[in-house]
Amino acid sequence: MSITNDQTKMLIQMIKEFTANELAPIDMQIDRAGDYPDGLFQKVVNTGLLGITLPREYGGAAFDYQAAAESLEKMATGNASMAVTLEGHFKTIEQFIKYGNKSLNDEYLPSAAKRIFAFSMTEPSGGSNPKGIATRAIKQGDNWVITGDKIMITNGGLAEVYCVLAKTEDDQMAVFVVDKDMPGFKFGKREDFIGLKGVPVGEVVLNHVVVPDNHLLGRIGQGLEIGDNAHADARVLMGAVLAGIMEHELQTAVNYSKERKAMDTPLYQLQVTQEKIADIAIAKENTTALYQKGADNKVANKPYAEVAAMAKSYGSRSAVASGDKALQILGGYGYSHEYPVEHLIRDARAMELAEGTIEKMNLEITNAEIAK
Amino acid sequence: MKIVVGIKQVPETDSVKIDPNTNNLVRSGIQGIINPFDKNAIEAALQLRDQAGGEVILLSMGPDSYTTSLRDGMAMGADRAVLVSSRAFGGADTLATGYTLAKAIEAIGDVDLVLFGRQSVDADTGQVGPIVAEFLQFPQVTFAETLELDSEKTLVAKRQLDSAVQDIKLTLPAVVTVRKELNTPRYETPVNIKESFEKPITIWTEADLNLDLAKIGQAGSPTKVTKVYAPTKDVKKTVTLSPDPAQAVSELLSQLD
Repeated sequence: MSITNDQTKMLIQMIKEFTANELAPIDMQIDRAGDYPDGLFQKVVNTGLLGITLPREYGGAAFDYQAAAESLEKMATGNASMAVTLEGHFKTIEQFIKYGNKSLNDEYLPSAAKRIFAFSMTEPSGGSNPKGIATRAIKQGDNWVITGDKIMITNGGLAEVYCVLAKTEDDQMAVFVVDKDMPGFKFGKREDFIGLKGVPVGEVVLNHVVVPDNHLLGRIGQGLEIGDNAHADARVLMGAVLAGIMEHELQTAVNYSKERKAMDTPLYQLQVTQEKIADIAIAKENTTALYQKGADNKVANKPYAEVAAMAKSYGSRSAVASGDKALQILGGYGYSHEYPVEHLIRDARAMELAEGTIEKMNLEITNAEIAK
Repeated sequence: MKIVVGIKQVPETDSVKIDPNTNNLVRSGIQGIINPFDKNAIEAALQLRDQAGGEVILLSMGPDSYTTSLRDGMAMGADRAVLVSSRAFGGADTLATGYTLAKAIEAIGDVDLVLFGRQSVDADTGQVGPIVAEFLQFPQVTFAETLELDSEKTLVAKRQLDSAVQDIKLTLPAVVTVRKELNTPRYETPVNIKESFEKPITIWTEADLNLDLAKIGQAGSPTKVTKVYAPTKDVKKTVTLSPDPAQAVSELLSQLD
């Protein structure tokens, strides 16, 4: 059955209610504590949010990427961390749907509405140079033996299933699915990042982890393609999260500018404030247009990697700059932990780096333009 | 256990307008939602179904647009829905509504329990549940704060009164209206939202029910609304006090004199 506007409308309304009741009230608490409170993630699972994009035959709701992206935008207006946690899961599920063989998908996807799946490419040697990775997959009979160290994994430690980029003996790139319960699998340290404090970002150490042949995602030699595809999928959703962060910045600035007066004049009536509010609102709308175009193109089977890179490059820079403008409107309160603006800047700053730096985005956008 | 939950679609906004000609609420153009107390009734029904098995059927009376609220209820997990809808039911007061819903419940057949929210947030009467119980000749408990299955054919409910708490055991079939303290309604889920479009909504008109036409709609409604109006907010005088606390106290005292 195709997805109707009414279904998406109900989903978005439900996400708004969940966000307003469960996430927005503890947004500051999550930032201060540096983690999700006990029980919150379970509520997300119980409400079926991990299964928004998962196919129906695997127990999901099979909403399309437009609906998933808009859901994350609305969620990020209340708490960006949980939206990024779901982004990491959704982009990984997309790779199973696109590249997974039937026996792998039948084995893993039925659990994907209950547990987080993660994608891990980055290694201590670097993130944006996947060809330089050291993780090895050695064929032994019908199995693969994987050894290596993956870092900066979104949801590392929270996720239970990991797609791991590795090199074969003949230096071909491939992605393997590894389960946290497999012998030789170990969690490493959690990064102490300055923003998106709820999202665990951590390390996974694989010491001769043996996986069966059907745990190969796609084909041998397809690793980089799958990695690029996962990046593009992630960047669409990050654009959505950034639009949500900017909405949060905008609302905070607008509300404050109505309440606060300078010489008996509400701040919003001052031209210096208007310029900042208008800039934030325009940047938010532009980011929304970019991520929605990315999602629309993906659903329509048109190329979307370039516009996805634009959504993240433009969106992340805009959200950081917009946060700074909102901070300036709030003055000293903006610089205080009492208001959310300072943590929104820290949250947005993560996305100038994650899933490829701005510089990497701009390189890819330029390459795409040169090739036209 | 076959449970029917009566739900009403109410305007989402608090700023309800009244048509000066008809004295009725203007509902067009305003997003409709499930009456919040009815969500507690749906939640109670789902919990009882999960415990005892059976099905939860949503029942409402109103125009086609009420299907959005019925879908919302099914997205919480209800199994199917019945909408009683026809121009003939228009203008019904609580008596005619209660009569019509009772006839629909008879038509559904073999119903063990009928749940309602304690009242609607737009009309605030709290009458429809009790009226349905009277027409069906079912025992009823209103304003239930707890509701538990006691045996296959009995429920136990707690009612909070001003100076006492009543524990009531009632034999099924029965009607219960519930307070919001009873439970926390579950969220819709993405999967249930999709499924809500695959579950049936049966639409019945007066032709589908065994009705006395004189008891439905405007004709069956003894209540005559002579005037409904929004209270005007009348700010008589505003005085801004001095920012200096001592001066402000002195000014305030002089105002109170």
